[in-house]
Amino acid sequence: MEWSLHIGGAHELASELWLSRFVEADRSQLTQPWSELAGRLLVTEFGDIRFTHCAFGNEFCEHLIPSVSALQTALTAAQQQQLSFTLLTPYVSNEGIAALRPLFERLAGNGGGEVVFNDWGVLNLLRRDFPTLIPIQGRLLNKSLRDPRVTPMYATAPAPSSALNVLQRSNLDCESYAALLTGLGVQTVETDNLPQGNDLSFAQYGLRIATYAPFGFISTSRICMAAGLHYRKADKFQPGAPCRHECQTHLLEYSYTNSPFGNRDQKFFLKGNSYFYAHTESMLHALFAQIRAGQIARLTWQPRLPMTVAH
Amino acid sequence: MKVLAPIAAHEELEMLAAAGAEELYCGIVPREWLERYTGAVWLNRRSPKGGSLDSYAELKRLVDDAHKLHLPVFITLNSPYYTAEQIPLVLELAHKLSDEIGVDALIVTDINLLMRLSQEKLACELHVSSVAAVLNTEAIRFLLNFGPSRIILPRSVTLAEIATITRDVGQQVEIEVFMLNDGCAFEEGFCSTTHHHTVGAFCTSLSEMDTQFEWAGKSFTTRRQNWLRRNLTDYREWVWYVNGNGCGVTPKGLPYGPCGLCAVPDLQRMGVASLKIVGREASPFKKLASVKMVRDIVNRTRAGVPKLHVIERAKQLRESPEHCAAGFMCYYKVDESA
Repeated sequence: MEWSLHIGGAHELASELWLSRFVEADRSQLTQPWSELAGRLLVTEFGDIRFTHCAFGNEFCEHLIPSVSALQTALTAAQQQQLSFTLLTPYVSNEGIAALRPLFERLAGNGGGEVVFNDWGVLNLLRRDFPTLIPIQGRLLNKSLRDPRVTPMYATAPAPSSALNVLQRSNLDCESYAALLTGLGVQTVETDNLPQGNDLSFAQYGLRIATYAPFGFISTSRICMAAGLHYRKADKFQPGAPCRHECQTHLLEYSYTNSPFGNRDQKFFLKGNSYFYAHTESMLHALFAQIRAGQIARLTWQPRLPMTVAH
Repeated sequence: MKVLAPIAAHEELEMLAAAGAEELYCGIVPREWLERYTGAVWLNRRSPKGGSLDSYAELKRLVDDAHKLHLPVFITLNSPYYTAEQIPLVLELAHKLSDEIGVDALIVTDINLLMRLSQEKLACELHVSSVAAVLNTEAIRFLLNFGPSRIILPRSVTLAEIATITRDVGQQVEIEVFMLNDGCAFEEGFCSTTHHHTVGAFCTSLSEMDTQFEWAGKSFTTRRQNWLRRNLTDYREWVWYVNGNGCGVTPKGLPYGPCGLCAVPDLQRMGVASLKIVGREASPFKKLASVKMVRDIVNRTRAGVPKLHVIERAKQLRESPEHCAAGFMCYYKVDESA
């Protein structure tokens, strides 16, 4: 089992890399109770965990692609701590592809590493121009329904088993897809811990499974509410529009007060261009059981909503 | 540059063809699928209770009669994914649609299905759905390995980005873009939520939820709170526009909703192959009005009417200058001076 830490910058690798140190790293009062719950339960279940891997970058927004110098600083810090290194990348426009290229050049020039891709164009670039880098399919390309408003109902209420069976699986369920990925050099795939539970039986096709805690993603957009803050009204909410990284300070919590079901205390979080859910205690226990069963190869701890930028 | 119209029943064919549709697309949900998966698991991106045909016989009649009018018919098989249990059903359906019914193309999202269909040597072509979230040239180069004849770009791809993409790969594959009716607040291919009727779309559902802000912490001034709240109100207004102005119509019954009419001259210049009108589930009247509007603008563009005149005509057709002026109803930001 590999334990990875998603860092916002090299400064987070300055001291001892135990999970307990990062349980309270989330400075948001809205999300901190969730990360504290998950961290505390993880430590209770597995003891204090020392990270052996680190992840750096962003999965959701091309405006948060780090600079080459920030990447180099993070790489150096990771090497000093003897951590394996994974670069997270988002879905991208052609501009994003252009921004990623120098990062891949630097990573390849520093002895290589893993790249999480969430866009087929990024994989194409990696395979053609950076064959020494190791591609990992990101969770955005894991096409499962993860709508926490309704999918948990299928796991608890009397629902057709054929429907739950589909909802707990994803595109990874098909052997032909696993063969396609391995043929493309992809050995590891990322998932989210789903509110309705995960069927991870696709691991039989030889893919390693990596996942995240304590947040899962719901939806994402090229249109960012927070970026609209600095535009005049008629110019707000344009796809890919430049921003001032308002997401670094802006956070919006939604309470599902209009639920037609009993889950009116449910919370969703908007950070930048993406919506997230937090893992509940029962979801965490389901994840722990999968770790114990050896189904999960890597867990990446994200001490805060994963929308940080490193310059 | 063709006008691509949605269709949900054979009886809509004659009027859509007469109004100027040049290509058609629809969905089909066989009864066996519904019996097995109920309404929770959709075969394509529309609820089985609206927007899809449910009988092969009607689809066959539709395809045959459309072909007599020289209109190709495309079918959506664009669920984000199909499980191992579903794939044989979908492949069997694809063969039936292609080889027995004679549809012209299948619209596909799932890369696994695209790959499998590319190996099946079907008579029909393959189109990559906007739900596949193809946002850059490299992604199209990757997908060309599976032989699609057309890529449907997501709504979020800007005019400048479309220009680059058509320049890069427009000779190798057709590019289709959104033109009218339906928006999406998210990047559709990366939205993992459902539009199931019990909960509605996530984006509109959010507009009715209680909210709490942080701005580098929970404590901030009233002034900042007002600033954040104003922006949230603007965002919710934008979502209302994205959702077809609250699913509204003009007093004359014309469809509201996101629109790319002003961009047609630019899209023609870029070499875009097809303009998609959204709304398989819409009323026949809305479909008819939509096709008429788009065809009017396409005809003027084809005739070489100057861009500014085309834009003026587009705004006139929408009959809602206040909504056009709001800036939230446009798929594309058009530079009127270029």
